[in-house]
Amino acid sequence: MKTRIFSVLCENSPGVMMRISRDFTRRQINIDSITVGIEPTGLARIILMFKADDHMAEHLHHVLSRLTQVVDAEVIDPEASIVREVALLRTKRLSDEKMWDVVRRIEKAGGRVLESRGNVLVAELSGVHEDIENVVKALGPDILQETARSGQVYLGRRTAKDR
Amino acid sequence: MVELTGAKALVESLRVEDVKHIFGLPGGAVLPLYDVLYDDPGIKHILVRHEQGAAHAADGYARASGKPGVCLTTSGPGATNLVTGILNAYMDSSPVVAMSGQVPSKLIGADAFQEADMLSVMLPIAKHNFIVRSVAEIPHIVKLAFKIATTGRQGPVHVDLPKDMQADKADVEIPARVEYVKPTVFELDLARVLEAVDLLAKAKRPLMYAGGGAISSSASAELVALAELLGAPVVTSLMGKGAIPEDHPLALGMIGMHGRMVANLAVTDCDVLLGVGVRFDDRATGDVKHFAPKAKIIHIDIDKVEIGKNVRVDVPILSDAKRALAAVLEGLRARAKRGRPSEWLTRIEKLSKELSPRMDYDEVPMKPQRVIKEIMSVLGGDAIVVTEVGQCQMWAAHYYVVKKPRHFISSGGLGTMGFGFPAAMGAKVARPECDVVDIAGDGSFLMNSQELATVVENEINVVVCILNNRFLGMVKQWQDLFYQKRRSAVDLGMVPDFVKLAEAYGAYGDRVTRPGEVAPKLREALRCGKPVVLDIPIDPDEHVLPMVPAGGRLDQMLT
Ligand SMILES: Cc1ncc(C[n+]2csc(CCOP(=O)(O)OP(=O)(O)O)c2C)c(N)n1
Repeated sequence: MKTRIFSVLCENSPGVMMRISRDFTRRQINIDSITVGIEPTGLARIILMFKADDHMAEHLHHVLSRLTQVVDAEVIDPEASIVREVALLRTKRLSDEKMWDVVRRIEKAGGRVLESRGNVLVAELSGVHEDIENVVKALGPDILQETARSGQVYLGRRTAKDR
Repeated sequence: MVELTGAKALVESLRVEDVKHIFGLPGGAVLPLYDVLYDDPGIKHILVRHEQGAAHAADGYARASGKPGVCLTTSGPGATNLVTGILNAYMDSSPVVAMSGQVPSKLIGADAFQEADMLSVMLPIAKHNFIVRSVAEIPHIVKLAFKIATTGRQGPVHVDLPKDMQADKADVEIPARVEYVKPTVFELDLARVLEAVDLLAKAKRPLMYAGGGAISSSASAELVALAELLGAPVVTSLMGKGAIPEDHPLALGMIGMHGRMVANLAVTDCDVLLGVGVRFDDRATGDVKHFAPKAKIIHIDIDKVEIGKNVRVDVPILSDAKRALAAVLEGLRARAKRGRPSEWLTRIEKLSKELSPRMDYDEVPMKPQRVIKEIMSVLGGDAIVVTEVGQCQMWAAHYYVVKKPRHFISSGGLGTMGFGFPAAMGAKVARPECDVVDIAGDGSFLMNSQELATVVENEINVVVCILNNRFLGMVKQWQDLFYQKRRSAVDLGMVPDFVKLAEAYGAYGDRVTRPGEVAPKLREALRCGKPVVLDIPIDPDEHVLPMVPAGGRLDQMLT
């Protein structure tokens, strides 16, 4: 099943998130990530990432579009937009040697170390979902104590006409 | 701007929406509102005996009149008693505005006395729902509630009213502006309309399939005109009964599990199927792989979610049924004259004659077909027929010839036993000039028979005809057919005596046992000036046939 990204512009009021998420729950679709931000207009933008087949994805798109508090639901084409994710990683207490190895790997992946105390590192990574996923998997539970992930944020690419 | 209590603002807002009737039952959390209703001259409150009755009555009111029905309850148990009725209205796209009291704002979340989290409870079962957070927004919320309930694909809206929001005062503006309402009228895609026109003009075996959407958009005139222009027979869903007068030569009746055989065969054979405001429900389509297998399908619907959901659609037209049909008509009229599909019509006519359902039975106990026949002989086209759920419903749907839209009212999507009687009550309040008859099963009627008190007290003179088989008949039928006649938990025994039950409430009760007696007794019932229960014992072993077993093919009916 393909990974899908929906961007839903909706009223910023209590209950909206529940209305949206329950349309997934009811159809037994697991939401992999969900982020909310408030637009300059005061409307909320919710970005959802999930896996579904074509028929279900289209059905869900129509179902979300129908909700009274939803102004617009867009299917995001990752090719035509800039999609990023931020991850914060905290390591376990590491040996000196291990620690420097991790620092090198984080920096190689374009991340940076934000804090280190007593051989425990906190690092920041940003990039596309798959790259972050690869780093997190490579480090693994022997090294990582905990991670915090932002979920997907995106901006549509400007077309020639906008510029 | 005027300073009003929330309760007063609410009632004023209801007046702006032209609300004349509210079905409800009070309690602690709606006392301020009931205090305003106490001496309100314009709104009649009808006190039900169970809140489920209020919801179904509002639903029946809406279906009979096309105007939103309104119901009102207290918080907690009063509000949760609405649940079945609200979902029932949602499944059948009926415009209902339901309101409930709620504990005072500062107690919400504290498990206060009679607190129920109605915002969450109603969320998946209503088209939309609100909780009032300030007195000043009440007119705005009421306006939105009615707007949402009655536009686009119609449906129920629930408003939760914390007690302090009813009692407190604020400066409010009536009528209020509506800031944002989802657009529900779409640009008609003319290219699609012309594609449909093309297909229909070339069709050798065209068929139209009308649903509830054709009725809620008042598209009957366009539907019939198009059928006549094309020479296309028309079948309907349960919800579509009455969209075309069923005595029209092109009307073939309902399709589906308990549809007319000729209607099901027409679906299987047609080469172009035009669906109008239908959702291709599984009870109607049977096995979708064999649904209209030879046909290109054109689907007109106002709700994008429905298009392509259950069956493949070749030409989708996102629109209100009336507008789309008018456009298709225009398009066809602009074309050169074309012949009628006479071969197809001859074949259908022949099948229609051969398969015409038999109703003239003389046995005692009576056959339900005979009972429906006699009921039909008494009621004119203006009578509103409401049904309960089960065999009684399917006999009514299969045999009863409905002549007008909004004159056949039945719980389609949810199949709610106990819907019919309170819905009949609501229909009678909305259309007092019409005879209203509930074709009931004994099991269903008992689920909301307490509303006998309401109809007697309020002189709402509906007639309940109980097709009494002393069984949960439809369940028994499935057990007979698919579970080797192991009749598990379906025998209702011989109680109650429905005549005495009616009399206990002060209604008129009578028992009809012999063929030929139903018609005169029903005539008498309609004249007696009281609500009536006619207890009509029927053959308890009768099945609803023909039948498409669940998931079976429409052209392979059990007989
Ligand atoms: C509230 C509810 N409970 C259970 C059912 C399942 N059910 C469908 S038909 C039926 C039997 C209905 O019996 P009755 O009203 O006597 O009508 P009959 O089928 O005998 O004509 C039942 C129990 C239902 N549809 N609704």
